[in-house]
Amino acid sequence: MVNPVLLIVIPLGLAFVVPFFGFISKKIEKFIPFVALFFNLIVSLRLFPRVLEQPVHVSIGGFVPPFGINLVAGPIGILFTVLIALVGFLVSIYAFDYIKEKDQEKYHILYLLLLTGATGVVLTGDIFNLFVFFEILCISSYSLVAYFGDKTSIESAVKYLIQGALGSCLILMGIGLLYGQFGTLNMADLAGNIKSVHSVSIFVPLVLFITGFGVEAAIFPLNAWLPDAHSSAPSSISAVLSGIAIEVGLYAMIRVVFTLFGASSILTFLMLLGVITLLIGELCAFCQENIKRMLAYSSIGQIGLMLFALSIASSYGITGGLFQLVSHTLGKSLLFLAAGYMIYRSGSMNISSFEGMGKRMPYTALAFTIGAFSIVGLPPFIGFPGKLMIVKAALFEQEMLYTVLIFFILLATVIEGAYYFRVVQALYFKEEKNTQNQKREIAPLSILIPIFILTGFIVVIGIYPKLITDVLVSSASELLNRADYIKSVMP
Amino acid sequence: MTFLSEYIYYIGAFGLIFIGLYIVLVKKNLIKVIIGLSIIDTGINLFLITIGYIRDGTAPVFSKPGLKANEMVDPVPQALVLTAIVIGVAILALAISLAVKLYKHHGTLNLRKINEQKW
Repeated sequence: MVNPVLLIVIPLGLAFVVPFFGFISKKIEKFIPFVALFFNLIVSLRLFPRVLEQPVHVSIGGFVPPFGINLVAGPIGILFTVLIALVGFLVSIYAFDYIKEKDQEKYHILYLLLLTGATGVVLTGDIFNLFVFFEILCISSYSLVAYFGDKTSIESAVKYLIQGALGSCLILMGIGLLYGQFGTLNMADLAGNIKSVHSVSIFVPLVLFITGFGVEAAIFPLNAWLPDAHSSAPSSISAVLSGIAIEVGLYAMIRVVFTLFGASSILTFLMLLGVITLLIGELCAFCQENIKRMLAYSSIGQIGLMLFALSIASSYGITGGLFQLVSHTLGKSLLFLAAGYMIYRSGSMNISSFEGMGKRMPYTALAFTIGAFSIVGLPPFIGFPGKLMIVKAALFEQEMLYTVLIFFILLATVIEGAYYFRVVQALYFKEEKNTQNQKREIAPLSILIPIFILTGFIVVIGIYPKLITDVLVSSASELLNRADYIKSVMP
Repeated sequence: MTFLSEYIYYIGAFGLIFIGLYIVLVKKNLIKVIIGLSIIDTGINLFLITIGYIRDGTAPVFSKPGLKANEMVDPVPQALVLTAIVIGVAILALAISLAVKLYKHHGTLNLRKINEQKW
């Protein structure tokens, strides 16, 4: 049997081996993330059928929970692991030709550490261990945002670091408060002890956790860092940050809210927060001229939509939220990768510089268009079933509040359509102003392959959503059945 | 007086956390903000240690016969603090190196004047 520990250990080990390979040859450094994440992809796919029958538990060092650190590979954990490995693998191919300047080995080390942290967060069953992996994720993303070292990227990295560090301080304080009361760090053990969230001593840690993870997930009042950080990082890193890092923040948040605290009374608040985040994100994206900033604000909006769907807390709602999460991970990674290459060629992030790109770079422009249509939610792409499920789930509840909120969500979708179609229009229907380099340029294979694979996933899952809904339904039931989770970890 | 002697560490810990929070929120200089972050970190570490602390307690090793569990200090928070200190140092080092770079680019560390990126 494959051990889920390998999913964390192999990338972590290989990350620190990168400089040693650098002694042999500078050329093989860039293949290390490729190898590590390919391994992760294979292992997580092999674990998949077994996990769907029964969650896989690993006690590190042989100490049984609640005394030792344990890993819990449930359906939701393995779903995230596959997504992280898939997107990470594709982006590592993209980086072959994209990352050429500065210290490449540092990029590859930090990139592997970022993905290790993300995998650790989704697999661990211990709250302090979750914090440690979360910090690995955060610290490596702070430094990757500053990778170019120019004026804007350093400024955004500083902003990101200050807010992120404050957020993680709050998480640590929450962990301290919980440990002081229950004397355990195991999530299942803690969840077994927490009966209701109405006493102040339980409520304060819950608020601290939501605020702390909310910073990384970019929930509305805590999202000031995101547009700067995502727009000034290298495009390959923007794809990973937008496609994985904020989703992992959201995962940590819902894991804490649903499993650890079972806090159903706070869900209405989270739902409102989600809709506000959605509206703010989409409205800000609408008035951006910089393409990467626009995509970053769109990510904020999407996170709000996911938070709304997950807070419905019905099986159908959570399934819809997770579907939206998968579609956002694939779609936004594709958009950042495609936009990144077009920026690389045109040398400007301004939307007006993309005019006429549809003729010059047909494949990349087509992929961008498909990604944009998918995020907006047009059939037959993957975004459509996700949004449809969310709207249906909210209407099933038959409450006035949900109907009003759905109105705002559909409004936000219209805004989203407006700004994405503006870019698509610039790509295809506007003549290029400077007519000097009109020749067609075909991107190198290492850029085209990840873009094509992501496009393929978007179209295939969009046409046949049944491919992933089974996994999502069992993930939703894992989140909702708190008692089962506790029983499965500590029989 | 007994109240004070019993809760003095908690008061100290939360005092440090709020002082740090104040510095981070109010000060304009990046170096001061970083110092504030480090003070919050220290406060939280003190808080974690206090949770497991027992007055006149000893290390949790059964060296003497007849040692009871309530005479021993809880070792888990100390392990947590060790990890938290390492993480804090990593963040501090990164923050300071970014501050150096920021000064090279902007010629100032005043955060109110560094505002190229806006909504």
